[in-house]
Amino acid sequence: MVKLTIDDKVVEAEEGWTILDAAIQAGIHIPTLCSHESLSRVGACRVCVVEIKPNGESNLTTACTYPVEAGLEVKTNSEKVMEARRLAVELLLAQRPHSAKIQKLAQKLSIEEPSFTLKERECILCELCVRACREIVGAEAITFIAQGKDRDIDEATVVHSLEKCIGCDSCAYVCPTEAITVEDIDDTRTISTPGDKLEFKLKKCKVCGKYWAPEKQLEYIIEKWNLEPEIFDTCPDCRD
Amino acid sequence: MNKVVFSSWGGKVVDNRLGTATSVENLELPLEYDGHRARAFMSWQGLVVVDDKVNVIDMAHSYLKEVQKLSCGECSVGYLGVRVMLDVLTKISTGQGVEKDIDLLRRLGTGIKANTKCDFCALSVKPILDTLNYYEGEYTKLITSKKAVPESVYITRVTAPCMEMCPAHQDAPGYIELIRNHRYEEALELIRETNCFPGMVGRACVAFCETNCVRSDIDNPIAIRALKRVPADYEIASGSEPEFEERKATGAKVAVIGAGSAGLAVSYRLALMGYKVTIYDERFSAGGMALVGIPSFRLPKGILEREVDIIKKLGIEVKLNTRVGKDITLEQLSGQGFKAIFMATGAHMGRELGIEVEGGGVIDGVEFLHDVNTGKKVTVKDRVIIVGGGNAAIDCARTCLRLGFKDVTVVYRRSRVEMPARTEEIESAEEEGVKITFLAAPVRALTKGDKVTGVECIRMELGEPDASGRRRPVPVEGSEFIIETDMIIPAIGEKPDLSLIEGRPINITKQGTVAVDLSSYQTSQPEVFAGGDCVAGPATLIEAIAAGNRAARSIDQYLQSGKVTPPSEYMVESWLHDIALNRQRDGNIVANQPRQSPEQLPIPDRVLNFDEVEQPFTYEAAAKEAERCLRCYRVMLMAIASEK
Repeated sequence: MVKLTIDDKVVEAEEGWTILDAAIQAGIHIPTLCSHESLSRVGACRVCVVEIKPNGESNLTTACTYPVEAGLEVKTNSEKVMEARRLAVELLLAQRPHSAKIQKLAQKLSIEEPSFTLKERECILCELCVRACREIVGAEAITFIAQGKDRDIDEATVVHSLEKCIGCDSCAYVCPTEAITVEDIDDTRTISTPGDKLEFKLKKCKVCGKYWAPEKQLEYIIEKWNLEPEIFDTCPDCRD
Repeated sequence: MNKVVFSSWGGKVVDNRLGTATSVENLELPLEYDGHRARAFMSWQGLVVVDDKVNVIDMAHSYLKEVQKLSCGECSVGYLGVRVMLDVLTKISTGQGVEKDIDLLRRLGTGIKANTKCDFCALSVKPILDTLNYYEGEYTKLITSKKAVPESVYITRVTAPCMEMCPAHQDAPGYIELIRNHRYEEALELIRETNCFPGMVGRACVAFCETNCVRSDIDNPIAIRALKRVPADYEIASGSEPEFEERKATGAKVAVIGAGSAGLAVSYRLALMGYKVTIYDERFSAGGMALVGIPSFRLPKGILEREVDIIKKLGIEVKLNTRVGKDITLEQLSGQGFKAIFMATGAHMGRELGIEVEGGGVIDGVEFLHDVNTGKKVTVKDRVIIVGGGNAAIDCARTCLRLGFKDVTVVYRRSRVEMPARTEEIESAEEEGVKITFLAAPVRALTKGDKVTGVECIRMELGEPDASGRRRPVPVEGSEFIIETDMIIPAIGEKPDLSLIEGRPINITKQGTVAVDLSSYQTSQPEVFAGGDCVAGPATLIEAIAAGNRAARSIDQYLQSGKVTPPSEYMVESWLHDIALNRQRDGNIVANQPRQSPEQLPIPDRVLNFDEVEQPFTYEAAAKEAERCLRCYRVMLMAIASEK
């Protein structure tokens, strides 16, 4: 266990935890957007920015990625932090003004509207969908394409691969900005992403006749866990 | 020192508009580019204005356009912040700015500097902030006038400390980022733009890049070499091969002498440009030093063969068992219609130890490795001494262990830190049981009949640095001692065999290498170019590849126009090189994250055979390691006068 100070409160944390883990454990609220308890942390949204002084010098870092250290002093709402956090949220709000989650973050920081404009986009590149698909589902159907040297694209983006996607809707579930949505109509599931629409055939329950899950997802589960194919002939409601 | 109007270079402000000083210490700027006068410079180091008529706002705008292209998108503040800054600068530059835009730019710049994920955007906005701080009046004037700024001419370069250190300037931050995002095919495509041997270099490179990795000053450098191997192995595992675009044949034929890494690299580039290339090599198989000099526990032969085959698929003909100068003469080559010749004959002759040895028991390191690598039978004794401190010496020592030598000692005249062999290799050798005697040099061999029984050595101490920058070893008088041994392997460097060009109008240097113009690799005989170890002396795989890449460019120039002129960008290269090598970082705090290392074969198993010791990174470990990269891309912008 290591002891550190968050906003003048001495907090105990386990080795290997991040500042965010320690804060959650101690009941100290740090706003976040791109972090999820079941997924790896990447520091993409910069909202959980905090101030630390590891060698006496003041520095900003993201609470979700910085590991706890014994004696570390963390400020979660100093003037410097609030200034940086406000800019991060303003940028996200300018990019995706209609997201309820971003609006709520802005509201808490008393931001009515951003002091600049940006071309609106649905996706804020938080990579939650990429991580969920890779780390939880294991399908690796979503790729993050960074803009950069020798990559001839104007905008960074996330792309679904129809070949690898199993239609499970985990991406839509974790998406904080509703950039990815899912809709089931009759025997078809449609996953809408900013650049594409992916369709999946749904499986019909032998007992109640309800369409209950994408066939591709069920095949994936059967193969992954080596299950009997008949197991999914009926929906969970009609199973014992 | 150059006279400047203003400079904020390296954080030191010199402002001659106020009459404080006229020059900046330790700042040598290129004064012209391709005949055009240099007017101003902008980079992460700051802003330098030489010509007071230059418009710094247009410059800031153009610079940020380049920064925006490289801003990756992995963090909101960097990516979105730079976009907003660029939009605002575009507005101001086109006469549509408003007074409060100045504060907005300042707020965004400060925010980006303080809160981004990697170093790139954070460092890139610094010169923009400098223009706001020192040229605010210009901004205000422009905004009030509602006029658009006149556009100037700029030269842009992008580099990074690791890229600059690499002789082939491989885009390490680029492919590391792709590996992090599990995009192996694209990573490989990017690597092949500057390096046609990803698998080989991913295994056997000395990794100059890692010695200049900014991360070294935080914890440890990124495992760039081992990461490069990941996409190369991925391609093999997925059973695919690179696809090359249809090439328009140019008709011209080029002969390449030597199928080593330089010869293969030049052939690869030339074939991609549409030339018909024929390579001649005296050996039974292609690869040069990588074939006969690098043991298979470091570079399995299958990897080399596969990468040579890929190159051959471009339509390159490889004539093996053919020694130019013996089986075919240079004149005969010209007679066969080859319009240019690239000489890449390597350095395969071992340097002599310079001590007297009578009888047997001494075999040169190059010859020894050659024999083992080509399956020849070699004598195995109990004890062996290897003299030298380079990779060849360490390779000899580790090879000896695998052949069954029981007592293997390396004798090196300097200390561990000066040892040119790769640290990882030295450590592996010691783990396997190789003993190293530092600060000692052989004086004479002890013999009994025609057998070697030992070596008399003398202790050395380190004196003043020599031309290589390493401290010169000086013998300690009266410190002689004896190491008993049955065999001596000198591995103290190799030299080129230049019998092919003796008596021809091709100049040879004092060091006994082929003399070339180092920007073009052209020899004193215009149609003959040369590169690799026959020019550089015994060097590395990546230096040979870099020479091949560059030579291909000048051979192309020569065949198209009859003459070779160094590309304009070479002119600023040395300057850029110097500033980009500076890995001083003023970025935000980064938590220590230990370097990931690929698994190695268990030590006791290693010496039993020649199996590859280093295992591939797992994809997870590779992504974790790639996550450590700080993406130290640097953009350099140079304003030049439009007229010559």
